[in-house]
Amino acid sequence: MSTRLDLVGRSGTDPRSASAWTRRQVLMTNLRSIRGRAYPRYRGLLREKSWVMFEILLPFLSTAAFVFVYRALHAPEQYVGFVVVGGAMTAFWINVIWMMANQLYWEKSQGNLELYFAAPMHFMSILFGMALGGMVMSSTRAIAILVIATTIFGVTFAVEQWLLVVAVFVATLAALYGVGMVLASVFLVWGREAFHLGQFLVEPVYFVSGLNFPVARLGLVGALSVGLIPLATGLDAMRQLVFTDATFPVGTPAPLVELGILLVMGVVSILAARWMLAAMERRARRDGRLTVRWQ
Amino acid sequence: MSTVGTAGAAGASRPSSAGPGVLAERAPVDRRGEGVRSFWTAVRLGWQMEANWTDPLLFFIYSVAKPVAAALILVVMLQVVGGDATARYRSFVVIGTALWSVVLSGVAGLAWAILDDRERYRMLKYVYVSPSDFLVVLLGRGVARLGVGSAGALITLVIGVLVLGVPFDPARVDWPVLIVATVLGLLSIVALGLLMAAVCLQTRQESWSYPDAFAGALYLVAGAVFPLAVLPAPIQAIGLAMPLTWWIEAMRRALDPANPSAIGGDGSLFQSLTGQVVPGTAEVLIALLVTGAIVTLAAAGVFRLSSRRAKEQGLLDRTTGS
Repeated sequence: MSTRLDLVGRSGTDPRSASAWTRRQVLMTNLRSIRGRAYPRYRGLLREKSWVMFEILLPFLSTAAFVFVYRALHAPEQYVGFVVVGGAMTAFWINVIWMMANQLYWEKSQGNLELYFAAPMHFMSILFGMALGGMVMSSTRAIAILVIATTIFGVTFAVEQWLLVVAVFVATLAALYGVGMVLASVFLVWGREAFHLGQFLVEPVYFVSGLNFPVARLGLVGALSVGLIPLATGLDAMRQLVFTDATFPVGTPAPLVELGILLVMGVVSILAARWMLAAMERRARRDGRLTVRWQ
Repeated sequence: MSTVGTAGAAGASRPSSAGPGVLAERAPVDRRGEGVRSFWTAVRLGWQMEANWTDPLLFFIYSVAKPVAAALILVVMLQVVGGDATARYRSFVVIGTALWSVVLSGVAGLAWAILDDRERYRMLKYVYVSPSDFLVVLLGRGVARLGVGSAGALITLVIGVLVLGVPFDPARVDWPVLIVATVLGLLSIVALGLLMAAVCLQTRQESWSYPDAFAGALYLVAGAVFPLAVLPAPIQAIGLAMPLTWWIEAMRRALDPANPSAIGGDGSLFQSLTGQVVPGTAEVLIALLVTGAIVTLAAAGVFRLSSRRAKEQGLLDRTTGS
């Protein structure tokens, strides 16, 4: 008897034929997965209102502390602008560390990870969804910090190439979240060390990225950071572009070159994430760590 | 509820005539002894959770990286500006940053103990109904993290002295002030941690970042890395009401008397209120004692209210997927 089946919207004469998906079905399922994983992040902005207090106002105060350090030292006003831009960009790095890299460890602890693996989609869709949702979430925070700090501290920007600023910003986000995907796949096999590595990747990375000062001041360390850490590259390029009237210590490449570095970082990190995800998944399956919680 | 724990704690002192079914005839409870035992068990548990995921060397590196990097950021900021500020403020910012790692770990310790047990390990309700006092267990867990932060602060200070050129002469250290300030300061930090724990008992998804955000806000008003005099007067007033401000001031004075004051100075609110340019050491300690006592009482009250509300609203076993 050849009765047509309707298995969750996929017609077929039997389960085997229904499971043979077309390219369109695969693509649409993965796009839905991306949207589904991004949804709780941007939706959460409206549901948990307390984030306005704790994610914008209080981090702004922390950024303000560094502004007052420069004010106490009677530093040139351009440094205040450096701190403000750095403070805004930290929203993305924090998001990458805690809501990209550490996310799979937390999903594992909550019992969601095995569901992701069992679902009929590519795992990269989950990572892309997390990244997109995280970008929306962090952008609101970054913009809020930027606007509040700029208004209160009277920072003036001198921009000559808006298009390049936007390109650098987008490339920075792509590279940052690409690194986040790589870290997420590494953290897949880790337990509590994931949390501690997350802590390890905050202040030390801020330091080598020149969060509150021109990264060129760090000499060789700064040069290495520009070549390897998207936060350092993006920050330096954006500072050069939005404070064109400021004097910078020599040593870092021109913004256009840094844009190229960021694009390479973005492509390499996303490809690396795909490869590492497969490798780490194999290793985690072999070692039985995909469902081990709280170790 | 406490029958099992009481029977176990009483141990040898249980009357031999009491049969296993006579639950009403409980042995006298050594509440103090039980509290101390609960506290140390919680400290040990907290330490294991903090440290047993790796070998000691890696744990050490991870623990000191954060405060050392934070100090380096400020030292480079000083170098960028240059001039006499570099030498004058180097010791100021290194000591302030090192001490701040104690604040961060102390404030986060108790709050994360709540969140860990509620959201991750799903044990909060069991801890709550156990014979041990909930507050004592929480304090024990928080102290473990505070210990890690204190070790980080100590190492940062050592690196500051050995590598960053912070002056240190044991003969010039005011040891009595250092000891008194350390005790009062740590108590105040634990009280602030308790306050955050009370908040996190009520809040949901975003709670993990609250302790850091709260500490970040305190960083602005506590004079940790710059003198309060550069702040607007109302914010200086908030700073003067915080025990952390007086703690850091007392510690700086004890460790390096040549440090500039974070509280006073020309044009500061302290000067306009008291007529003095900088407070005396005794005044700093008294202010630390008074503000610390107020914060501790307030934190205990808020925690009690929060704990009661959490029980009434069923928040103790409500996980929020964070």
